[in-house]
Amino acid sequence: MTNTPFFRSVALGLLLAAGLALPGCVSVAAYQKAYLNDEDMKLATKKVEAPEVNFESYREGGAGANGGKVGGGCGCN
Amino acid sequence: MVIETKLFVKNTALTILALAAPFAALAQATPTPNRLDGSGLSPNAAQLPSPARYGETEVDILGSYYQQNGDHSAVEGGVGSQHLTDTAPTILLNVPLDSTTRLAANVGIDYYASASSDKIDQVMSSPSAADVRYHADFGLSHVLANKLTTLGVGAGVSKEYDYLSFNILASWAHTSADGNRQLSVTGQAFIDQIKLITPAELRVGGTRNKNYGSDNRQSFTLSLVYAQVLTKRLQASISAEPVVQRGLLSTPFQRVYFYDFGPGGLAPGTLGTALAEVLPRLRVKYPASLRLTYYATDLVQLRGFYRFYNDNFGIRAHTFELEAPLKVTPFFTLYPFYRYHTQTAADYFAPYLAHSVGDEYFTSDFDLSAFSANKVGLGFRYAPLYGLGRFKMPFGKRITKFKSLDLRYGYYRQSTGLTANVVSANLSFVMP
Repeated sequence: MTNTPFFRSVALGLLLAAGLALPGCVSVAAYQKAYLNDEDMKLATKKVEAPEVNFESYREGGAGANGGKVGGGCGCN
Repeated sequence: MVIETKLFVKNTALTILALAAPFAALAQATPTPNRLDGSGLSPNAAQLPSPARYGETEVDILGSYYQQNGDHSAVEGGVGSQHLTDTAPTILLNVPLDSTTRLAANVGIDYYASASSDKIDQVMSSPSAADVRYHADFGLSHVLANKLTTLGVGAGVSKEYDYLSFNILASWAHTSADGNRQLSVTGQAFIDQIKLITPAELRVGGTRNKNYGSDNRQSFTLSLVYAQVLTKRLQASISAEPVVQRGLLSTPFQRVYFYDFGPGGLAPGTLGTALAEVLPRLRVKYPASLRLTYYATDLVQLRGFYRFYNDNFGIRAHTFELEAPLKVTPFFTLYPFYRYHTQTAADYFAPYLAHSVGDEYFTSDFDLSAFSANKVGLGFRYAPLYGLGRFKMPFGKRITKFKSLDLRYGYYRQSTGLTANVVSANLSFVMP
């Protein structure tokens, strides 16, 4: 139950949507980026979030691709 | 100005080394399987250009306290307390060396105490075992003359009682001329050495033999991130981060009990009938993720994250995360967040007394089991326009601005019964 076709479909759907949407987007000029330059619009985890990303990467066997560590520095795997 | 900056960097490096030396001498015994990582540099995140003040030195003081409870300790073969606490102070430095080059540093320690690691030696009444991990990572980034391409290199080390790790990385990022797209590629390699501490009853030469052997592990990561501005209010990034790990991937002090193994007439499940966990010496991971940020209104923004994960151990996972920052005032932001994770079990996982001694690979580590997990929490950031305060550094005359304060709490619960609480804070300073 932890991995249903539903999740697989959602995953594929999201990645497909992203692939289709990214090339077709509008060009935004620098002076139009007031919203995008907001601190909360950064496409990254916040620094204060790092401890959570770390413990999740050790407590969950399926982790990675989120800026956390993926190897080294710990006897866990 | 450049000479002044270089002197400051040199002084900072010397201060860090001087501070680190006594801590290194304090390294303690007793490893734990539930340790946390203080993390190194995070080169994987795509950053579309923002109007950062390149001349400022940034200093972040991070602190966190993590506590977990559960009843599936891998040291005891999938049963027993998983109680653990971890305190992790970290300092992040980002120093401009000149107008195109920056030096980054991430230095910190993890101090953790774990109930389960007492059970490596089966000392039933001892206090919780504790250990300290030290880590330091340094990186250098340089913007080329075209102002669109950034190159980076980095290296780091971490050390604890039974584990020594070195890493190196190289990165390349290119931004489009209009600043609406960025592609970044990062390669990283970890070279690790592991002391082979086995459960006391499995040690060759008797339980008091402390002449452990060693093994090694190498991890290679390639991170590809493409970030794109979609509209004036929406941007996204997609990433793939294949990982190859070779060498010792099991943890030698984690026990596995078998339903059909009782040497010397012992009943299966009693002390002396376990073997140390065994896993394949090659693991290949294939994670891919999508991140979206949307400026819905001046009051609310939305931050979304989805990750698909697959590996050759048989684990397949999905992770969703949503955060909704609420701007209570222009300088005070509250951000509730929710995260859901689900994964299948590794092919080699079975719980306590469920493995057969005929299995080639076996583990009862519930991190590799099938479960779902929910995390919910709340954070706030206070960042006044002119900072929370200004003061002079003790050594030198530079004015330092206390720029912002971030505080965050998260509650985490797995379907295995594991629960965790984590509080973290970030005090951010800048020096013009």
